[in-house]
Amino acid sequence: MTITTATTARAGAVGATKVYGRGDAAVRALDGVTVDVPAGRFTAIMGPSGSGKSTLLHCLAGLDTLTSGTVHLGGNDLGTLSDRELTVLRRRRVGFVFQAVNLLPTLTAEENVVLPLALDGAAVDPVWFEEVVAAVGLADRLDHRPSELSGGQQQRVAIARALITRPAVVFADEPTGNLDSAAGGQLLAFLQQAVTELGQTVVMVTHDPVAASFADRVVFLADGRIVGELDGPTPERVLDELKRIGG
Amino acid sequence: MRTVLRAAMRGRLGRLASIGLAVGLGVAFLTGTLALGDTLRANFDDLFTQAYGRTDVVVRSATTLDTDVEAAQGLVPVSLAEQLRALDGVRIVEPQIEGFGQLTGADGEKLGGQGPPTLAGSWVDDPELSPWRLVEGRAPEGSEEVVINRGAAEDGSLDVGDVTTVATPEPVTVTVVGIATFGTADGIGPTTWTAFTFAGAERHVTGRPGQASSLLVAGDDGVDAAALRAEIAARLPAGVEAVTGGELVADANQTINEDFLGFLRGFLTAFAAVALLVATFSIHNTFAIVVAQRTRETALLRAVGASRRQVLGSVLAEGALVGVAASAAGVLAGIGLAGLLKGLFDAFGFALPAGGLTLGRALLLAPVVGVGVTLVAGLTPALRASRVAPLEAMRAAATDGGRASRARLAAGAVLAAGGVALAVTGAGSHSLALAGLGALALTVGTVVLGPGAVPPVAGALGRALGRLRGVTGALAARNTVRSPRRTAGTASALLVGVGVVTIFTVVAGSLRASIDDRVGEVVSADLLISGSGFGGGGLSPGLAAAVDRVPQVDAAVGVATGPVSIEGRTSQASVADPADLAAHVTVDVGDRFAVSDTVADDRGWAVGQTVAVTFPDGATETLTIGAVYEPADPIVNGYLVPRQVWDRHSVQTVDNQVLIRLADGVSVEDGQRAVEAAAAAFAPPDVQTRAEFVEDVTANVNAMLGLVYALLALAIVIALMGIANTLSLSIHERVRELGLLRAVGQTRRQLRSMVRWESVVIAVLGTAGGVALGLFLGWALIGAASASGTVRFAAPVGLLVPVAVVGALAGVLAAVRPARRAARLQVLDAVAAT
Repeated sequence: MTITTATTARAGAVGATKVYGRGDAAVRALDGVTVDVPAGRFTAIMGPSGSGKSTLLHCLAGLDTLTSGTVHLGGNDLGTLSDRELTVLRRRRVGFVFQAVNLLPTLTAEENVVLPLALDGAAVDPVWFEEVVAAVGLADRLDHRPSELSGGQQQRVAIARALITRPAVVFADEPTGNLDSAAGGQLLAFLQQAVTELGQTVVMVTHDPVAASFADRVVFLADGRIVGELDGPTPERVLDELKRIGG
Repeated sequence: MRTVLRAAMRGRLGRLASIGLAVGLGVAFLTGTLALGDTLRANFDDLFTQAYGRTDVVVRSATTLDTDVEAAQGLVPVSLAEQLRALDGVRIVEPQIEGFGQLTGADGEKLGGQGPPTLAGSWVDDPELSPWRLVEGRAPEGSEEVVINRGAAEDGSLDVGDVTTVATPEPVTVTVVGIATFGTADGIGPTTWTAFTFAGAERHVTGRPGQASSLLVAGDDGVDAAALRAEIAARLPAGVEAVTGGELVADANQTINEDFLGFLRGFLTAFAAVALLVATFSIHNTFAIVVAQRTRETALLRAVGASRRQVLGSVLAEGALVGVAASAAGVLAGIGLAGLLKGLFDAFGFALPAGGLTLGRALLLAPVVGVGVTLVAGLTPALRASRVAPLEAMRAAATDGGRASRARLAAGAVLAAGGVALAVTGAGSHSLALAGLGALALTVGTVVLGPGAVPPVAGALGRALGRLRGVTGALAARNTVRSPRRTAGTASALLVGVGVVTIFTVVAGSLRASIDDRVGEVVSADLLISGSGFGGGGLSPGLAAAVDRVPQVDAAVGVATGPVSIEGRTSQASVADPADLAAHVTVDVGDRFAVSDTVADDRGWAVGQTVAVTFPDGATETLTIGAVYEPADPIVNGYLVPRQVWDRHSVQTVDNQVLIRLADGVSVEDGQRAVEAAAAAFAPPDVQTRAEFVEDVTANVNAMLGLVYALLALAIVIALMGIANTLSLSIHERVRELGLLRAVGQTRRQLRSMVRWESVVIAVLGTAGGVALGLFLGWALIGAASASGTVRFAAPVGLLVPVAVVGALAGVLAAVRPARRAARLQVLDAVAAT
């Protein structure tokens, strides 16, 4: 298995189409989406419910497959990879932060952070580990189980886990959805910091204009199509754009 | 109420089906064993009715010496027949001889034996007096002409006109002149039968002219058997009695029921009980998990107005429905199982009479037990469900968090400690009741304590696994600690199953080791020739004499056994020339009647005392106890009767064993060859070295173990289904977690491996616990049962290692389906699941 590592656009889709169901019941969740995820930037994907934003994220991350079109990530055409190759790709080249159930309850915070490496049988780089853990402010919580951590702390552990493999892209699916606004703001700041200070590439799906304003660029989706883009977003401009597209 | 039930059951058929499987298997086992026991009983009843049912009256000796091993009946004078024939209402009187004779097949091999008896006797022609029917040839006329049963004829490729040998036990050359069936069957089960003329049987089988085993009487048409019996009885001399054919059937049935069938039924029922016990654990556990997973729904039902009673009722009704359906299926499967078990018994050499299955009691009892067990197992989970508060509908999905309560652990500890104390006391004081009670208390205590033991043990296993299998192993082990109660409940089923196997294995291993020891200590003979035990596979007394004349042999002695009644108690006695015996075993009593010290202690006898001994011919002699010896079984049992005393009273003298001491300088191999050559004339018996003899004696123990393993495999299968069930439920609960693992890079193979290891950890917990429990209880029970310390405890490592390995491997097996299902989960579905 070859997993290529270098490219400028870290990930992207060309003519991505995803159809659920058949015949009259068919739903086009994605309808010919072409999008690039530039390296070293924080991209937000927004859109109303059912716009296909989560589907796009899942397809870009190799969690779901397209009906037609192509997705590439870190130089690999995901459509050509087997389940095992996709799994290893996710393990080594992709970081995930989900809305909920981000951590395994039986593992400590530290074990959760290094889980992708442990699954790979790979060694932990202690310097990078220190740096990531310090960045999300978890140094004194490493021995705790998830049940002993607050929601915000749990999501920070998830970010640390997403960063530990120095992935090509970190995908975050409504990462602040279950947090209060203070904890949410803090979490978004960490994601931003990962881009600006650690040079990471981050893609985040959100429906919250304030969350989207932390990104460098916002891509708007409606009915499975890209309907707008915004560079250097503020909450107000995001809201205006959402109103324009009828969200 | 019905709506509640329907809501509860909807969409959970799979889960309920797996509960049903455990119930069904338990019921199947119970049905199978009940049906097998009843079938055997009915078959034996048929057999005896066929044999004696049409004979109106049987006149026989009033002396019956009946031990567990054999029954000996005295003889009656043939001259009585003449007097009886003169009576009104008597149509015919025929004397009959019944004894033993070993047929030789056309290829020179012995026929039958190894369990079923090899019978020989006299041919009775009258169809009302004998169930045997000639199907080929004619009845015997000369003393060396015989009729044999069709089964034996086919087995030995013998035809009418063939010449062969019958050992009675003296070898007699005979000509087969006829072939007969028992009613329409080829024989009495697998027994062989050789019929001489009455004169031939007199000469060759009993060697007592003028004496018969019994006189068979048929009355004229319309004569009442009971009235005829009374009339005959009034004319009989002392020591002779008359019974009707019906009484004989009842007697025979009672004997077989008390001895063989009673043992068999107890044995089978014990296993059915174990299977149901294991099933109960599995069912309880599954119910508990299902109820826990359903907490929110239950709360919702309560919130919209369902009463506690309705919730309780719905869970119990659910259990009852499952129990009924599963019991029905189980009964069907059990009928098949009964047929299978019957075949299994045949395969292990316990050949049983043929015939269809008798199902009455099984059909009545098994379903009741099945439904009862399901309801009992479901009771506590149902009560727990009924206590769910409506408010819990608002909370996040609760799972069976189950750590053991302090009270439970305390109760478990008290029970377990009490059990250990009782078992140790029982072992020390040889009280089986005490040890048994201790075993029960300890087992229950262990099961109650289980959830407390899971975290530390699984934790230690987890650390080892983590080192061995990385994060996959560590995750697997930690998953087992998430709900100690669930893990312990699942492992308990296996613990009980493996525990019982271990107890049996330990008992068998100890018996074997003790026989080994005993033979080593007691027997100094170089070679042994053994008859095939009871039922006529005996050796001719001439054999010992013939072997004694072999130049390579220093000394040879024959040992017989037979029933005697001494001071009102009937036992098997060993018969030998005591003076000759001393050269071969550690019994040196000169030339006298002697008893073992165990018997002397037990009955309060001392050397010099006189006792009244009744022999199989009905005669009683007063013998003086000449000596007391250390027990020397399996060669010499508790009583040793000098041969010259015995010969005066025995009906058909056979040796069970010939002990041989080789001359100085003769190797065992050379000696064995020489003895085999000399023995060839005696329907060639096996000449064994001491080691071969031990192997042979312990073969019975091995056969028993074979049965134990076969039957307990089922209990383990039930336990395995419990594990598979628990794993499936756990996976169902952890769908999102599994999706997360797959998302961050766990391959399908790693996921399967994780589920498998979790299963193995549970299986190892159950197996290790079971082996430990079984070893201890085996030790205690052996100590308690062996009053005189005749059986020493020996843990048969060679037998226990397979038990442990199979138990642990069973974990891998149990995980196959759940692991596959978990691995098939689509990552996205799992992550997105709510």
